[in-house]
Amino acid sequence: MPDEVEDGTRRDWAAEITRRLAGLRLGPEDEAALADELAAHLEDRYRELRARGLHDEEARQAVIAELDADDGLTARLAGVVGRGSPSTPVLGATRGGRLLTHVAQDAKYALRAMRRSPGFTAIALVTLALGIGAATTIFSVTNGVLLAPLPYRTPHELLTFWGTAPEKGLPVVDFPSGLFVPVRDSSRAFVSMTAFEREGFTLTGAGDPVRVDAAGVSSDFFRVFGTAPALGRTFLPDDASSDGFPVTVISHALWQRQFGGDSSVVGRTINLNGNPSTVVGVMPPAFAMPDDALLWVPLPLDPSRFNCWCLSVVGRMKPGVTVADARRDLIRTVDDFAVSRPDVFPNAKPGNTRIIAMPLARQLVGDVRTPILVLLAAVAVLLLIACANIANLLLARATARTREMAVRCCLGASPRRIATQLLTESSMIAAAGAAIGLALTVVAVRLVRRLPPSDLPRIDQVKVDGMVVLFAIAVMTLCAMLFGLAPAIRASRVDLQTNLKDGARGSASVRARRVSDAFVVIQVALSLVLLAGAGLLGRSFQRLVAIDPGFRAENVLIARLQPPYPRYDSDTVVRQFYDRVLERAAAIPGVRAVGLNMRAPFTRGNPQDNIIAEGHEPKPGEPVLVANTRYVTPGYFAAIGTPILQGRGFTEADDALSLRVTVVDETLARRYWPKGDAVGKRVKHQGDTVAGGWMTIVGVAPNVRHASLGEEPSLQVYEAFAQRTPWTMYLVVRAASDPEALLPALRAQVAAVDPMIPLYEVSTMETAVSRSLVTRRLTNMLLGAFAMAAFVLAAIGIYGVISIGVAARTREFGVRMALGARAADVSTLVLRRGVWLAGAGIAIGLAGAIWAVRFLRGLLFGVSAFDVPTFTIATAALAAVALLACVIPARRATQADPLTALRAE
Amino acid sequence: MLDRELKKGSAELLILSLVEHEPRHGYELSKLIDARSNGAIRFHVASLYPLLYRLEKRGWIEGRWVEKAGQRRRRYYRLTAEGRRVLAAQRRNWRQFVEAIARITGVEYA
Repeated sequence: MPDEVEDGTRRDWAAEITRRLAGLRLGPEDEAALADELAAHLEDRYRELRARGLHDEEARQAVIAELDADDGLTARLAGVVGRGSPSTPVLGATRGGRLLTHVAQDAKYALRAMRRSPGFTAIALVTLALGIGAATTIFSVTNGVLLAPLPYRTPHELLTFWGTAPEKGLPVVDFPSGLFVPVRDSSRAFVSMTAFEREGFTLTGAGDPVRVDAAGVSSDFFRVFGTAPALGRTFLPDDASSDGFPVTVISHALWQRQFGGDSSVVGRTINLNGNPSTVVGVMPPAFAMPDDALLWVPLPLDPSRFNCWCLSVVGRMKPGVTVADARRDLIRTVDDFAVSRPDVFPNAKPGNTRIIAMPLARQLVGDVRTPILVLLAAVAVLLLIACANIANLLLARATARTREMAVRCCLGASPRRIATQLLTESSMIAAAGAAIGLALTVVAVRLVRRLPPSDLPRIDQVKVDGMVVLFAIAVMTLCAMLFGLAPAIRASRVDLQTNLKDGARGSASVRARRVSDAFVVIQVALSLVLLAGAGLLGRSFQRLVAIDPGFRAENVLIARLQPPYPRYDSDTVVRQFYDRVLERAAAIPGVRAVGLNMRAPFTRGNPQDNIIAEGHEPKPGEPVLVANTRYVTPGYFAAIGTPILQGRGFTEADDALSLRVTVVDETLARRYWPKGDAVGKRVKHQGDTVAGGWMTIVGVAPNVRHASLGEEPSLQVYEAFAQRTPWTMYLVVRAASDPEALLPALRAQVAAVDPMIPLYEVSTMETAVSRSLVTRRLTNMLLGAFAMAAFVLAAIGIYGVISIGVAARTREFGVRMALGARAADVSTLVLRRGVWLAGAGIAIGLAGAIWAVRFLRGLLFGVSAFDVPTFTIATAALAAVALLACVIPARRATQADPLTALRAE
Repeated sequence: MLDRELKKGSAELLILSLVEHEPRHGYELSKLIDARSNGAIRFHVASLYPLLYRLEKRGWIEGRWVEKAGQRRRRYYRLTAEGRRVLAAQRRNWRQFVEAIARITGVEYA
């Protein structure tokens, strides 16, 4: 180690000397020899000064000062050595040259200063690296998810819209083809418009049968997005057929996965649900509409059909048309059409139409927008706190270096020059912090990208790109300014007389103390905002997971099955298939119960229908209630773990020939029969005109959450699978223990019934539920982490400021105690300052938090934004830690020994 | 500290005297001047070395690099024959000068 130090200093001397020799135009050998000789002298002199008790920096400064004494080395050497004449411009005489030299000099000096105080450097770097890393990571998510334009032509012109009927419990009403076609044809705000519908197919003819998510799309679908195929063509107007899907366009992902990227795939025939279809095109990788579609088939649009309100619509607005214009245009078009078709819209009145329209990019991002923005704000706050901390560290150091600065001033450095020097130091810390932070970001982004795409839309866009690097640089610059400016300004106001006096060494001026205090107050305030926010989200999460979803998720496995049409072309064969699957599944050892449901809870899609209760038929003009409709087998309730609260569940006796029965949930039962006598009453689907349309309620089940724990309970109607048979069903298996262990056996049993039918959307129920919480959990975790970090930083901040205050007043405390002050008096003195700082911070923080939580409202569940316990706990925790941070320095203050304190002078 | 002009006038004489009997390196010279003048005269690097180089350039002293085991190499200066003559002359001049001053001002020559 000592060798290294010596080498380092000798190198420094040589550099100082060489710089001064630059203007003399010496030959390299002469210069080296000269530098060597002088360096030896400087080193000797330095050691001598150190031996006399000077500190490292003082000695160094003194030696350098001697180098520049008596007009300086350069001037004196000119004319003595080298080829230059005395009039030769010496080092730094030109403006630009001087600036450059200064920067280099400052940088070198800063590096040395950083090396000299590794503790400070490490703390500053770690704080900054974590802060900038977190900020940059969140920004790369923001950038990818919210800011990056959609990979389609002029994406800001793409608008998506849907109807809404909240009074019926329908926030989203999609379009029927009978309405879409006239809207498309008569709207004036759009260049083009396309409708599509999600589909799912069993793909055969390309390896093992696989289940693929797909979309049926109107023929101009790809043209609306402005994306050309990578291979082949997209759809033509006459591709659509009401009979099967003659042609298919496949996605890049499916092309790679199922066809090995073989370009001869165009023209090849594949089987979709057993129907032949010719691949006519392959889309480029970026095309992802709707998000998980792996292939597209043409969708025939029948303008006379109003039976399926299931089309999603995207339109391309004419250039210059605003979202509001487009929305008005749509409302007008729909109104006109509705009024003109009383056969379809009997209650239509102009102005009845309600449409929600939003840019496609906004809709695709959906629920994650608020959490991302909240996290971005939180991380900015955290970074501010970190900067305040570093600023205080730097201020403390600047105070300790006051004398050094004063010496530099005496030696002719201008205040501006010193300020620049200090700013260089903070810039270098910021740059190093940003570099490490960026490295952390690369790692973190890699982790983020491991999330399943269903948890974070557009996750493929999240990457460390130019924008992210630019952001890091901007943050770095801002940080350097934030924490470098105060110490720099302070240093440039050096008061030579005071500072050179011995007693002044290391004590901070009142103004500097005030700046430090302000930083601490800000830190405490911002920490409180973060703590309160994180607390509110945490409590929301607690409330949320405490909710009874209406079933028991543990040990349940769900998987989807779809017997392909036309091989399965009647209810009877479909039922036979499922009966055999249930029978075989039930026989697997370890299976407790099996059942089928058309839509298991926490899976995508929610079939609903207008339901009418007997005796409560709505009068004309009154909204009809909408309920979730589910078709289930008798074993389902036991398999999913939903108890029957009243009456009975379904039995094998409830078949196609018997009385139509239903089980309703308690929300519906209570709504119509609040006295608890729903069993025996009747309900029916609104459109069900068959004589036997009424279904008798035989049982009441608890409400089941269908998509998220936090949702408003919706009405639910269960019907017997044997009485109404959908093709596609979820198999629900309750196992004695780990349900995933049953999967191979389950696959084998299904294959034994029909090897061409794959199990898909396989998941445990617990996974399905926790998936619905992923964004929230992630937001909570991150916000919690940010809040904790803020908390710790604030505590360190207070501790630091109070400690430095105590250290500076050691003599005063010593004197006080010598004059009879008790330990308690002194510690009160210290604590008072801490309490004042924390108190001010908390007061400002509370005000800030009350203002800031409004942005969290959308993310809260079951707690008010002004939840008193949360605010109380956050405040108390912060106050406690702040106090703790003061107690240690306060104790140290009471231990000030009057003798030592005075002798130190 | 001595007046600057005074110091300047005496500088060459000081250096030449100090290397008269044995070669010395720069730092040693500055230390000796400091010590023997009780701190009244000090030569820092910035003035010492230019002076040494000037003397060397005039051929009065001669520097030579000397390396000793375990130490960094140093440049030792010794008096040349020419330097010896200059030293003798300067000594004489200086003595006359000081005596003249003493006679005028009554300051005793130590």
